[in-house]
Amino acid sequence: MTALRVTGLDVALGGTPVLHGVDLVVESGEAVGLLGPSGSGKTTLLYAIAGFVVPTAGEIEIAGEVVSGSGRNVPPEHRSLGMVFQNYALWPHLTAAEIVAYPLQRAGHSTGDSLREAGSLLDLMGIGELSGRKPAEMSGGQQQRVGLARALARRAGLYLLDEPTAHLDSALRADLQQELAERMRTLAAAAIYATHDAAEALAVADRVVLLREGRVVQVGTPAQVYGEPVDLWAARLTGPAWELPGRAVGTGEARVLVRPDWVAPGAGVPGVVEAAWFRGPHTDYLLRIEAGRLEMRRTGPPQWAAGDRVEVRIERWWPVPG
Amino acid sequence: MLVLLVGYPVIRLAGVALEQGWGAFAAALTGRGIPAAVWNTVWLGAAATVLALVVGTAAALVTERSTGGRRRWLRIGMLMPLLIPPFVAALGWVEAYGPAGLSDDYLGFSLPGLFGAAGVVAVVVVNAVPLAYLVVAAGLASRSEPDLERAARAAGATAAQAFRTVTLPLLRPSLVSGGGLAFVVAVNSFGIPVLLGTPAGFETMTTRIYRDLALSADPSSFAAVVAMATTLVAITFVAVAVSDAWSWLGGSVIRPGSPAGIPASGIRSRRPGLAVAGYVAATSVIPFLALVLRALTRALGLPPTPGNWTLDNFAEALRGSGGAFMNSLQLAGAAAVLAVILGGAVAALGRGRRGWLGSLPVITFAVPGSALAVAVLLAYGARLRDSMLLILVAYLAKFWALGHRPIAGSMGNIAADLGRAARVSGAGPLARLRTVTIPLLWPAITAAMIMVFLFAFHELTMSALLYGPRSRTLAVVVLNMRQIGDVTVTAALAVMLTLVVLAAGGLLGAARRAGRAS
Repeated sequence: MTALRVTGLDVALGGTPVLHGVDLVVESGEAVGLLGPSGSGKTTLLYAIAGFVVPTAGEIEIAGEVVSGSGRNVPPEHRSLGMVFQNYALWPHLTAAEIVAYPLQRAGHSTGDSLREAGSLLDLMGIGELSGRKPAEMSGGQQQRVGLARALARRAGLYLLDEPTAHLDSALRADLQQELAERMRTLAAAAIYATHDAAEALAVADRVVLLREGRVVQVGTPAQVYGEPVDLWAARLTGPAWELPGRAVGTGEARVLVRPDWVAPGAGVPGVVEAAWFRGPHTDYLLRIEAGRLEMRRTGPPQWAAGDRVEVRIERWWPVPG
Repeated sequence: MLVLLVGYPVIRLAGVALEQGWGAFAAALTGRGIPAAVWNTVWLGAAATVLALVVGTAAALVTERSTGGRRRWLRIGMLMPLLIPPFVAALGWVEAYGPAGLSDDYLGFSLPGLFGAAGVVAVVVVNAVPLAYLVVAAGLASRSEPDLERAARAAGATAAQAFRTVTLPLLRPSLVSGGGLAFVVAVNSFGIPVLLGTPAGFETMTTRIYRDLALSADPSSFAAVVAMATTLVAITFVAVAVSDAWSWLGGSVIRPGSPAGIPASGIRSRRPGLAVAGYVAATSVIPFLALVLRALTRALGLPPTPGNWTLDNFAEALRGSGGAFMNSLQLAGAAAVLAVILGGAVAALGRGRRGWLGSLPVITFAVPGSALAVAVLLAYGARLRDSMLLILVAYLAKFWALGHRPIAGSMGNIAADLGRAARVSGAGPLARLRTVTIPLLWPAITAAMIMVFLFAFHELTMSALLYGPRSRTLAVVVLNMRQIGDVTVTAALAVMLTLVVLAAGGLLGAARRAGRAS
């Protein structure tokens, strides 16, 4: 079943066009990563889906029901979706339990039932003991979990997550990314993660949508958008990539892309190490070969230092279209 | 310094009020017409608070939650009554909607009850709305992130439910402090009730104090004046204390900033904006224009058409006001400079400290002008009677808080490391002040000076109680001329006074923008 269908969506904010002809389909149980730099329109797209901004053209369909377009504009409270906001948007005057109970109360449940249900959702998030605290008395990670619990309390078929881990420190971020991905998978609900972090999008999503200045540039599985980028911009967005003339790999193509993990030491082209960056689990080497520069990634601490000569083999490459 | 300015006079006031014991105090308060004046003051304050909050909140919702370029103009319009002295607004309402006013001449309609309780409430509300609006709009902008409302909508709340369960509770501190301000303004107001209430026999404590002190020489009425002034101070303090206690809110809002460019939730209709514009036009613009027309028209009873226009009234007003114009300029100028020095010193002392020094400016600003004038008169009247210095002391006592606030706020924004960097670069404490602190504070200092000037220039309440033959201020002359019944010349003088204030207000806006740009 299709959880969300967006067709030809145009959105303008204050007269300035922000989204141009965006098409997007999300199936039930699917996690879609919405990847783009800041200002590319990720939040605007989520807000349009949720009903906070009115599109100038196009149609939005949630679970088969047209909620926006052809003269219809269903208000946010009547769209079946849960949302996790970028800054969590937790109401400072309510406790964690009251915040999570809020959607249940709005759905017509009694206050007692709602609070009980909220308690078990907070337990599920592993923060049951915080139910009496207000947002200001919680850490960033705890607030994030409350925000997620509130979204889950909506019991919707579609969840929108706007940079859900952007304001967390890096150690916590990795943990929460995995936790989020697992929760969404067990719910079998559709989810859209907006993020500017390629590693996050590639790790949590079944499919990735690249957004650039309000246009969808590429849609594909994480392996596709990483391995077969449509252009240099898309390649750089999803990870480090270097551009070389085609002759470097013996092809007729004018330009090719080479990623660091596609290069290995071995019989091939001679090169000189210009720099070596130790990153913990692996080391990146900046190499100069006759045709230009490229990067090579090897596990472990540095084996070569700047100035060393090393022969490398380009194991994979991808032609740059256009 | 502050003790001399505010503390000693107020203590002296309370001392004199109670020196004959509580019985005499109570007796003084039950004099003829006084209980009615006390009651009028209290219900006027309560009614004005509620109405100002409703109007101010509605307008704040429109200006803060709508999009487009009209917003800026609506905001300026909502704040305009701050720049029109209250007694000028009252005169304007009379010219616009009163008997023989504009609407009466052209539409055959005049507001019933403009002279009397209803008129006083209406104009006091118009006067108090900007403060309620300012506080609520600031609260909407800072406390209630649009995302918090969106989260409620996404959780299934309708727009009305989101407003009731999220926006209103978050606004509570703003509503309470805005309401407190409106109450203080209403209770303190003198110019409006003296022009619209007194002629109809509607008296408040402020007008009664004026009548007994300035227009009567009866010693027994002086006891009543002192008792009323003390009661007025007590009422205000209770209001401030209650609003302080209520506005407490646990926790603070986390604001990592809203996504750029996304307009806040939904006013797309033009109608609310038009309603606000209509309110501004009806309550401020038309009354002031009516006053200008009256000032331009040769004589009473002539239609205000260009053929009947003349500048004679203005020339007459200038002649009639004598030295009052210079007096007002000098007093306001001196008050601006001194209040800023005083306020800056208190800000520097209070830096990083909380408690009584922090809330002191609020409390002294809330002391009603009428009561403060009586207190200053009791404390220093014997030595300074009829001199400009007496009025200056009262102005400083009242307005130093206006000088304090912007400077203290701006001081809080200067990172402590900037001063430390100056010290490790070899600057002594004085050099640091001169080369780093004052340059960084300069926009705030200018803003504070203009603000004090503006308020002092159109001050009426205290001036009317303290002036002598050689220390009349412009506002006092306007009041006296009006009481003599010289309508056109009064209008001309009021217009001139307002133009000076508007010019100062324009300067203030420019200074603010310069401050933001730097």
